[in-house]
Amino acid sequence: MVVVNRLNFTIGGPAGSGVATVGVLFAKCLQRAGLEAYGTNDYPSLIKGGHNTYMVRAAPEPITAIVGEFDMLIALDKKTVEIHAAELSEGAAIIYDSNKVKDAETLTHRADLVMIGAPLSQMAATAGGEIMFNTVALGASMGVLHLDFAILQDLLTKIWARKGQKVVDANVAAAKAGYEFSQAALKAPFKIKIEPMADKKKMFINGNEAAVVGAVRAGCKFVAEYPMSPSSSILHLMAGHDWTYGIIVKQTEDEIAAANMICGAGAAGVRAMTATSGGGFALMAEALGMMGLMEVPAVIFESQRCGPSTGLPTYTEQADLLFALHASQGEFPRVVIAPGDPTECYVEAINAFNIAEIVQTPVIVLLDKFLSESSMTVDDFRSIQVKIDRGKLMSDEQMENSPGFKRHAFTDDGISPRCIYGQKNGIYVCSSYEHDETGFTSEEAAMRVSQINKRAKKLKSIPDYVTAPSFHGADAAEAEILIVCWGSTKLPALEALKLLSSDEAKARMMHIRYASPFPAKAVLAALSSAKNAVIFEGNSEAQMRTLILQKTGYYIEKTYLRYDGRPFTPEEIAKHIKKLLQK
Amino acid sequence: MIDMTTIAELNSGHMPDWCAGCGDFGILIAIKNACTKLNLPPEQTVVVSGIGCSGKLPHFIKTYGFEGIHGRTQPAATAIHLANHALNVIAVGGDGDGYGIGMGHFIHAMRRNLDYCYIVHNNEIYGLTVGQASPTTKKGIVTKSTPHGTPEQEVNPMLLSLSAGATFVARGFSGDIPHLTDIIAQGIAHRGIAHIDVFQPCTTWRKDLPYELYQKMIYKLDAEGHDPTNWESAVKKAREYERWPIGVFYKVEKPIYTDEIPFIKDKPLVKHDISNVDISKFVEEFL
Repeated sequence: MVVVNRLNFTIGGPAGSGVATVGVLFAKCLQRAGLEAYGTNDYPSLIKGGHNTYMVRAAPEPITAIVGEFDMLIALDKKTVEIHAAELSEGAAIIYDSNKVKDAETLTHRADLVMIGAPLSQMAATAGGEIMFNTVALGASMGVLHLDFAILQDLLTKIWARKGQKVVDANVAAAKAGYEFSQAALKAPFKIKIEPMADKKKMFINGNEAAVVGAVRAGCKFVAEYPMSPSSSILHLMAGHDWTYGIIVKQTEDEIAAANMICGAGAAGVRAMTATSGGGFALMAEALGMMGLMEVPAVIFESQRCGPSTGLPTYTEQADLLFALHASQGEFPRVVIAPGDPTECYVEAINAFNIAEIVQTPVIVLLDKFLSESSMTVDDFRSIQVKIDRGKLMSDEQMENSPGFKRHAFTDDGISPRCIYGQKNGIYVCSSYEHDETGFTSEEAAMRVSQINKRAKKLKSIPDYVTAPSFHGADAAEAEILIVCWGSTKLPALEALKLLSSDEAKARMMHIRYASPFPAKAVLAALSSAKNAVIFEGNSEAQMRTLILQKTGYYIEKTYLRYDGRPFTPEEIAKHIKKLLQK
Repeated sequence: MIDMTTIAELNSGHMPDWCAGCGDFGILIAIKNACTKLNLPPEQTVVVSGIGCSGKLPHFIKTYGFEGIHGRTQPAATAIHLANHALNVIAVGGDGDGYGIGMGHFIHAMRRNLDYCYIVHNNEIYGLTVGQASPTTKKGIVTKSTPHGTPEQEVNPMLLSLSAGATFVARGFSGDIPHLTDIIAQGIAHRGIAHIDVFQPCTTWRKDLPYELYQKMIYKLDAEGHDPTNWESAVKKAREYERWPIGVFYKVEKPIYTDEIPFIKDKPLVKHDISNVDISKFVEEFL
């Protein structure tokens, strides 16, 4: 039976062989054929060698995770054939380098596979350069699917245009060679057929990329960052667009400098951010508290990876939640947001910059390696309504008429009008010491209490609709179980809901995005009315459960925790739900 | 009539709480004098500090201020300058702040040639934490934390900034306010990073380093014909220990960091409109 417009694809090879590049291009080709795509990767912490994979799933409807076996594999080395042959579906195709893998049939122990062994490097050399062997393989994959070559040609032309026509031509020739080779090698039509639909002009984007586009849209003007996986692509992407968007991107000497810089830039009146992972965030802790005391807006993206210490640098985890909520000495308001998919990364990045200025305090956006590097087909971000809200930032004109201005003046909502350096009448010291309304150091007891109370009030200005959890799946009334998750677990959990509905288990899902301020009322209401509840978290201590207990008094008894560095799969979530419901 | 900044205008109304005779007073007066001399508008000036006795200085001068955390004056000053390079940024800190906990930032700030002036109150002791050895405390000196004498070789801040690529390197003495005023005014006016180390007697914890000793040991570089455009002779002067030179060690004009940022040529970053950034070019890349 021929399957139409639905397939899983994976490519494997040593680091440095362009595994992810080919994976993303494969997904984009299918997206241009009107399908929705999802892509994610797996790789160890090294530059060359090792074993990297990139996985793509494509389907006619929106998808948020890989489900099922792989129908096509590009193996750039022998190891890939050995590791992944067992993950292939009946009748799947393997495209491999016939010079590197001589005994592919024996390695797979399977007779049902479509074997396409091509001399990738030689073909690439003929086309203009051996380095394009992965482009040959990509072309071969499109040949197997009989996808109109013009789609791949357009994409390669767009990507390589900046390197000149010669490079474009060579890549197109390499892809074409692979395309024709696999078509000739196919003895029978492949089991999957792509019937192209209109290109919906959607984006294929991962969490880090979406966060960067969001930050740019929000008017971020200053980025200070020290490289650390898995946040470094934020630095690269920002640096690659600095002149286009007028953003100063400063690679700093360490994360301490990065955090202190964004505090300085915030006090000077520009929207500023840094990005890091848990280790770097640990170094920022002192400056985080300074931003809180100084009432300076700043945004910190923290993409979690396996800790503690160096941990598993290129693997995912959700174990920095309580750390993000408690880092730094003393008490001050902070906002902690954990978006669950690339579109939420975009939206919450913009929210983060607005909120930071509205409540004049640091905002932490918690990502993780899985979300940072998982790509999805999403609607064009330009279709999302955006409002830039700078809160109580005073204009130059307003300051001209504000004699006796007090930067930390007491107000009903705790938020003081904010002047910035250079404005008339605003002179004050932005101080890391406790201070009075003017910013002058004060160690007086009553003033201390008043300032603590003032700052503590500020988060109340963030409306409930911003922080509300989102609900998916069955209605509250009919649901047999409530799945609770946060951050990137949304992606596999949404796919699990689809698997469950086919099994007729009625599951509802609550995805929590805001850890601070915490949507206690909404979360408690959902939990108290649920017949059954289970929380899925990527850590070993059920940190969100602890937070929910602390904020609502509700203790979720059932947990399913994963802390092996790998993201949840939809299958394991669905299986566990069925087990709990004894189905 | 041109509106000139006066010393009275720079009075913050707060009395410094430094010990009687502290060298910080001389530095504060010299900074105020320099601001007046250069006619810096107070609201266009930001004094950045860290933590320590010197860290309190921004409260005693009526300009904008940023009193950050210990050792991090350079990152804060860097960002304030980059966010709004129309501002005059003056960073101050102690020897512990700048050459101890903040040493990493110090070296990197010097090599970036940003356009601000960094003044170090160097009293060779941790004062506010009541008397421990600092990175500039000379080997063998007994302090509360080094009862057997400091076991380490002291750092040489002049050599550090010279080797890191600072484009203005000078030293002053808080007991010679006219001379220090001139050095600081030169440092602020210098287009590029200026590092000014200041001999600052601590009358409480370093009674062995009184004003009289500095007066006996110091001499003025310009009085002895030192050529501040010559880096090698600046290094030689930085390595002079028998007598203590003050004045401008080294000065060179080089392109500054912001010269290479084209989009802030017309207006500082803070003045850029962010109300409706068009992300179309970016979105195109992901289609």
